[in-house]
Order: sequence, then structure tokens, then C-alpha cells
Amino acid sequence: MSQYSPLHEFHKSAGAKLADFGGWEMPIEYPAANGGGVLNEHQAVRQAVGIFDVSHLGKVTVQGEGALSFLNSVLTNDLGRLKDGQAQYNLICDPGTGGVIDDLIAYRFSEREIFLIPNAANTAEVVKRLNAAKPAGIEITDRHKDFSVLALQGPKSDEVLKNLGIASDLDYMSFKKAKLEGFEITLCRTGYTGELGYEILTKWDETSPVWKKLLTLVTELGGRVAGLGARDTLRTEMGYPLHGHELSMEITPVEASAGWAVAWGKEFWGKSLLQQQKSDKNHRTLQALMITDRGIPRAGMRVLDEAGEVIGEVTSGTFSPTLKTGIALALMNKKMDVESEVVVDVRGRSSRAVIKRVPLVESHVK
Amino acid sequence: MSLVPAELKYTKDHEWIQSTGSNRYKVGITDYAQSALGDIVYIQLPKVGDSHSQGKVCGEVESTKSVSEIYAPLSGVVVSVNQQLDSAPETLNQDPYGSGWIYEVEISGDSELSTLLDSAGYTSLIS
Repeated sequence: MSQYSPLHEFHKSAGAKLADFGGWEMPIEYPAANGGGVLNEHQAVRQAVGIFDVSHLGKVTVQGEGALSFLNSVLTNDLGRLKDGQAQYNLICDPGTGGVIDDLIAYRFSEREIFLIPNAANTAEVVKRLNAAKPAGIEITDRHKDFSVLALQGPKSDEVLKNLGIASDLDYMSFKKAKLEGFEITLCRTGYTGELGYEILTKWDETSPVWKKLLTLVTELGGRVAGLGARDTLRTEMGYPLHGHELSMEITPVEASAGWAVAWGKEFWGKSLLQQQKSDKNHRTLQALMITDRGIPRAGMRVLDEAGEVIGEVTSGTFSPTLKTGIALALMNKKMDVESEVVVDVRGRSSRAVIKRVPLVESHVK
Repeated sequence: MSLVPAELKYTKDHEWIQSTGSNRYKVGITDYAQSALGDIVYIQLPKVGDSHSQGKVCGEVESTKSVSEIYAPLSGVVVSVNQQLDSAPETLNQDPYGSGWIYEVEISGDSELSTLLDSAGYTSLIS
């Protein structure tokens, strides 16, 4: 049984192609006849501004005395480094294996109140695990359908805010409450596209008017509504991991090159296992690659060396609308030097590729 | 609504076939297929001179999200391919029945022609 965003009727009437995302039926792309399609939507975000409905994302509050120190003993990153009003990318790992239960953004409202945005498909598991581990006095609440999440992304995002009378004075990964047409929103300077942008939390029942206002302003600035297909090509160009592809119960943060989101100096679930893996140095490593001839890499394809030996596996692959060639993230058996030449087995044909640093396309988040 | 020109023949795999005379037929994918695929970004064309049996994979069409195989609608030898699609795959989205044609095949017999759908048959398949 699919779940639906409060904007489901909008997406249907706009003619969006819908698909399942973690149990939620969400828009992949809007019709080409109206200027949509993954390529146009992607370019709108890179060059102007796009608006995405990402209400399928989870929303969980962790409240009570000691909420921050409890979460900080679980999550990989250090919430203690944040001030109130700042958000942080985090991983929650399985204590027994070091595999990644989910990746999420944590909003620090105060030491007593942290708001989490996990992935749609993993929200129930995150809530279950936190509930099982929480000390007395802390309350974990699944608020999946209390709030929606709208992502305003692209260089003209600040102009949209300006036209709403909202000051764009937030540093990257900071948030504040604001009023949008009289509706209370939480505005966080974050995103999943590599562009300047904001994720906007709005009350579930107030989503439609907020969306309509944003869409009008976005359209006036030459931007457009964008679907999750473009969100995926945008994030792949940045090398951002997607749970279920680059992160999973079978792929640790050490392997996924997500060490930047791990604060080794404090406790977190799975720490000793991950420390061991890190010091062993013979783990797989997530790297980006770019096709130099023809073909589009896809998840599950093998990466080979010149001699035809398997040296890795693609976890995400697509056509890069910016670079106009195939790009991929791949778990390499051994870390390769940047610019190393490799081959991707594209359904029996060999596509030549080179290992690249991420992001594959310049980031403008800061 | 997808366009289904009355003068063409079709397969259940969403290809169209157009007679170009002397046992030659142009092959492409339908408007319905291009719309379902979304932005087409890469096409693996058949090779001129290759023979393909009816129903066998002879090429691929890829969108940003997925790959879809092209099945030879008629057995025969590939006599020409639309090289323009290499550098401008979006042509397939923009003009699927015209400049977005994929390849031309020369058949040796006409026994397979009766297996193709007419426009009414294809229209009912996609509706």
C-alpha cells in the first residue's frame, strides 16, 4: 500500500511520472510537453532554481533531558560541535556490524530537542532502534505525516526568498523559523543537489498553499518544478551517497568514503568495528568515475582493470547532464589513484572510464 | 495522447516499421515508447551489415534512468543506421517517426509482415 505526499493530487494533475520511493509514490519527472523531463529539470536547478517535493523523507523528533547526549552516543557525527539552529549530516550504524542503518540530517533545536530527517524507507527502522536504546525521559516521535519537506535548490533560491520577504542570512547547514504567506516554516540551508538551496519544513496540512506560492515564484524566475529523477542525476554529479546504493547494511561508512561524517573522538554505534576496518586499510573504497568513450554505467555493473580482472562494482550510474557523459560511483576493491584508467562492463561491452575526485561537477553549496 | 500514424506498422515492443520500397523497411520506436522512456541520452545503434532475426535484440535506447532494448521487428540485414542519433539522441524524443528513425533493414521474405500490428492494433495495446 503506497503512501502519498500531500501534493499527490498536484503531481497527478501536472502529469508527473510517478514511482515508488521507499513505499511512497512520488514524482520522477514532469512532462516534456510542459518543459519538464530529467534533463530540463536538472538544468533548471544548475542554472536557475528548482522546487522538489521530498515529503516522503522521514521526520522524527527526539526530545527530553539528555536528548543530545543520547543521540551523540548513537550517531557518527558530533552534535556537540553544533550550536542550536545548526544541522548536520549523520550516519546511524549497526552496533554489531558497522553497516549503515541510514544516513540522516539532524537539526539541533536545543540540547533537549533534535529533529531528524531519515530516508523514507528507513524511518521506521531508525525509530525502532532509537526507541529500543533510549534512556528513560527521552521521547522518540515518528512525525512522518506531521510535516512535509520541500527542497528549493539552485542559484536563484535566495531571490525566491527575497521575493517572499524572508532574509537569506543562513550559513550552510543552518536553519531558522520563518513565515511564508503567514504559514510557519522551518528553513534550512541544505540540499542534495550541490547548488545553493534550502529544505523547507512545512506543516503537512499547510503544504499545498506553501508549495503553490513557492512554485509561482520559482516559475517567475525561470525555474521549474523538478522530480526525483533530476534529484538523482544532480546528487550523482556531486558524488553524494544514496542509502541502498552507496550506503547500506553491507557497506560501512569507512568503505563509503563517508569518514568526514564520523567523529572518531567520541562514542557511536559500531565505532570499534569501523575503527578496526579503518586501520586494516584493506577495505573497499567508494570512488567516482567518468566514462571517456561511450555507454552509461548502471548499478551492479562490474569495474575491470586493463587485464580484465574485476576490481570494483558500480553502486550508482547515470548520464551526467552537465558533463554529457556517463558517470558512476563505484565500490573499488582497492582505492585507485585519481585519473587511473578502468573499464566498465556495460552489458558485455567495455566502456573506458577514469577514476575522478568528487564532486564531478563544481559544488556551490557554500 | 500518443501519436500512432495510420500508415505505419507496429510491434508489441513499441517499434514502428515503414516500408521504403524494394524489401527495405525503416525502424524506429513509437511516440508512446519515447515518452515512457523520458529523455533519451544514448543509443546503441545496430551495425550496418549485421543480420538480426525477428525478436532478437539489435540495439539499445537509454534514458537518464533506464535502458531499453530494441528488438528487430523483422529478420534481415541492416542496410543503414541513423548516425545523427549518436550526437543528438534527443532527436528520438523530438521526432520519433521522422528524423528519429533508428535503422533500415532489408528483408529476404515477406512472411513476417503479417505478424506486425496495424495502427488500430497498436493503439489498443497502449490504451
